[in-house]
Amino acid sequence: MKVTINTDEKATGPKKQRINKGPGKRKVSEPVAGHSFKKWKILRWSSLIFFNFAFFASFYFDIQLLEGSLSASRLLGFHMMDPFAALQIVLASKLILPNLVIGTVTVTIIYFFIGGRSFCSWICPYHLLAEIGEVIHRKLVAKKLIKNHTFDYKTKYFLYVLFLVLSFTTSYSVFEVINPVAALSRSFVYGPSILLFWVAILLAFEILYARRAWCRYFCPIGVSYNLIGILAPTKIKYDVDKCSNCKECQKVCMVPFVLIDTVSKGEKEYVTKGDCTRCGLCIDVCADEALSFSVRYLDKIM
Amino acid sequence: MAEQPKKNFKVNRRRFVKTSTLFIVGAAAALGTGAVPILRSNEKRLRPPGALEENHFLASCIKCGQCLQVCPPKVIKLDGLMGGFSVGTPYITPREGGCILCSGLPCVLACPTGSLDHGISLGKEAEMGLAVLSKPRQCLSILGVNDLVFRLEKIQSSGNLVPDENLTDILQRLVEKLDDKETATWKEKFGLQEVTVKEVPRVLAKMNRENFDWLLSFTKDSEQAKVGCRICLEDCPIKDENPISFHKIKNEDLGKDVFVPTVEKTCVGCGVCEERCPTEEASITIVPRMKWKGNA
Repeated sequence: MKVTINTDEKATGPKKQRINKGPGKRKVSEPVAGHSFKKWKILRWSSLIFFNFAFFASFYFDIQLLEGSLSASRLLGFHMMDPFAALQIVLASKLILPNLVIGTVTVTIIYFFIGGRSFCSWICPYHLLAEIGEVIHRKLVAKKLIKNHTFDYKTKYFLYVLFLVLSFTTSYSVFEVINPVAALSRSFVYGPSILLFWVAILLAFEILYARRAWCRYFCPIGVSYNLIGILAPTKIKYDVDKCSNCKECQKVCMVPFVLIDTVSKGEKEYVTKGDCTRCGLCIDVCADEALSFSVRYLDKIM
Repeated sequence: MAEQPKKNFKVNRRRFVKTSTLFIVGAAAALGTGAVPILRSNEKRLRPPGALEENHFLASCIKCGQCLQVCPPKVIKLDGLMGGFSVGTPYITPREGGCILCSGLPCVLACPTGSLDHGISLGKEAEMGLAVLSKPRQCLSILGVNDLVFRLEKIQSSGNLVPDENLTDILQRLVEKLDDKETATWKEKFGLQEVTVKEVPRVLAKMNRENFDWLLSFTKDSEQAKVGCRICLEDCPIKDENPISFHKIKNEDLGKDVFVPTVEKTCVGCGVCEERCPTEEASITIVPRMKWKGNA
């Protein structure tokens, strides 16, 4: 990796001298006038709250807006289905049913356009809890009360295959028993269940031991969206000319390794890894406005 | 170079954490595989109409709860963790509310995975289970007791006279089957122009201890009270199919003719009879998943 040392004292002014690792061409991270540090976070949290409330309200007030739970639902009458749950059901029951196919294809198409794991950061109720947990985790780490631990990012792929194989061999959707996202979603809609303890344990593990462990390393639900997202045109665009290599984006990112190709190496113009949740935290935090949402291919034509 | 040992340590520890996690997950998975058939042998639940055979049902249910959302009488519930492998799947507790086999079977239509088989469209095609006369000794029909009389006497013995749903239901059932002479008496007693189910709230408003005693003796003397309880058949959502027949026998203890309810082949096990059975514990209960054997 190329390492350059910024020795331009005048340009950095009163700021601390910083060692730059990366391709960014700017010397200093200066807030661009009019840059909003909360824009995407506000939009995203609104979406998270709106959709999860819509699930609750559809049953509680009997308005046929978004019926069901996150495993399978009907949005204004159209079937929607979680691809991982659907795959498990197909492997377990050895049946392929029309509604299941319709629901899965609809979800695949939608997330192809809005960008793969955007499900995680814009819809998933566990993400909402985990994001709050992350704030606590980072505060505890800052106070040196706890240490962060890491696992292999690839563990989730292993779990994805493992649970699919298990579905086939046991003829039962094993993962759906311990699925914290579905458990949380069902609890919102149909009232709390004992499974919430399991969600609480996961959350405690994330807060006290490993930052965002479930979403980062383990969640197989996200893997389906990850795979859809690799080809999805909605991506984060990186402008090397505006970047000052402050690395703030990687500090806030749930899956910082997705930014390596762009922010660390400057090899790519877009964040192409499927794990990117399009949460927009990096865009919010980037004072240089080097990162932005963009539709790949389309912005080339325009 | 001083960094070298530290780095090695870190890598080793990471590898250790990684391998141990995978080992634990693998062990849990293996244990889960072994536990599936054992946990499956749990007690059987009454499933919504159209449910596939239990193992196929558990395999294909996505646990979304859409059947529950569209259920008009709201009798479908989702199983909790204590249900073992049935967790998150829909079931019905017939005593708390049986399935009324609504026309169109909305739960079946709502099911996204076909766990509730889209092959059925009518209530009588469902195969949920079978009703069984599990407590014949307390069955009102076999004892030759009318259900309305039984329920009114229960209110009297409890000494708690409140114009609740129970009393409303009794009055509605009573006025529906009054003959001409009884209708005239009824009109005179409560000062009504006509005797219909709509007038029941007005009767209920006049209900006091004195009127209640009159009501009890009036019901006892009425024509309909001469027939024993048949509420299981009367309330059956598919009563046109005659899922329950009544066979006359002589009750030696009572010295009179009574009727024994017999469950026929057309019963689908919806559970409404269990819900409505007026005895303390339901005399007729549903055995989920049970099917007729032979050609009886």
